[in-house]
Amino acid sequence: MTPAVALAVPRARWRMSRRTARALKGAFGVALLLVAWQVSVPMVGMSAYFYPAPIDVAHAFVDLIRKGVLPVYIADSLGRYAIGIGIGTALGIVFGIAIGLSRRTALALSPLLKFLFALVEVAWIPIFVVWFGYGVKTIVLALIYVVFFPVLYNTLLSVRTAPAVLVNAVRSLGGGRIDVLRYVILPSALPGMITGLRLAAGFAFRGLVFGEIIAAKTGVGYLIFEGAQSQQTARTIAGMIVMGFLWLGIDQCYLRPFERATVQRWGLTIDAADRL
Amino acid sequence: MPRVPAIATGILAMLVAFYWIAGMVGGGHKLAALEPLANDGGSYAITLAFAPERFHQQLLQDRGRVVGVDHSTVFMMDVDPKSLRAIAREYWVVEVRRWSPR
Repeated sequence: MTPAVALAVPRARWRMSRRTARALKGAFGVALLLVAWQVSVPMVGMSAYFYPAPIDVAHAFVDLIRKGVLPVYIADSLGRYAIGIGIGTALGIVFGIAIGLSRRTALALSPLLKFLFALVEVAWIPIFVVWFGYGVKTIVLALIYVVFFPVLYNTLLSVRTAPAVLVNAVRSLGGGRIDVLRYVILPSALPGMITGLRLAAGFAFRGLVFGEIIAAKTGVGYLIFEGAQSQQTARTIAGMIVMGFLWLGIDQCYLRPFERATVQRWGLTIDAADRL
Repeated sequence: MPRVPAIATGILAMLVAFYWIAGMVGGGHKLAALEPLANDGGSYAITLAFAPERFHQQLLQDRGRVVGVDHSTVFMMDVDPKSLRAIAREYWVVEVRRWSPR
């Protein structure tokens, strides 16, 4: 065996074991936290309303499933999230391209867009409640608002910064506006769109919790709020944990793989979180 | 489409399909003794596996008129067949039986 091969074989094994070790370390950290939490409950000596034990939270979680509450709330939350993300992204991309294609329109609208981007969705929710009442419409609108601006802004910037040399090359080869859009603008704007979507997805998830707390009668955000109101703190914590896992699932199963398959593959960003 | 999102979507779709099919089969069993259902809306006693919470009451109110609750049984009127099937599909509904308001 040459020294190079001798080095390569253990390295491949080490990579496999490192992944497992990382998962084990993560699980160990969570287990340690749960044990510390459980042990601290009798020490603190507070009632389950103030400081529920992990076992109370686990019971609350099982109870919510047994009573059919959690599946319905998760489905409602994910449905609203998917609709908000879908419509917000579609609108953001269409308007971002349309505005970005015209330099004058982009210059004219930029201050307004920056201003609206800065207004958080929480500020809009009371007005949406007045206009559309409590329920799905208000939450979905808030989510569309949250998603629309980051996607629009990133798309707009990407369209405006498309390489002029490529635009000129297509034009010099006899290409029209459609060809420029198809072969230069859209491919060069795609990383910006995905970056905007990645950013918006995080904002939208937080917006979903706020929206459901203020304007819904179902959903995991509402569960968190209702649990606290009805003095079922264990339910509130179970809702928070479910929210956390939902976001992890969305991030790990959808956002990161799409980002890896597109933006990172083209070498345009380096995700520091991947190195953790 | 990248592999991980495809697998995740597949698992989600399977879960939803399982939930739906299990609900339909379970609902069918619960209503077997009541068929054929009254077209113009009937009165039914819905027994849950536990005392109903606000969530269950709201859900049942959307599907008929809730006129009373006794422990884990909810008494309803004006429930059309479609709504009754939707109620029976829920896994936390133990029994559905006819009930005559006095």
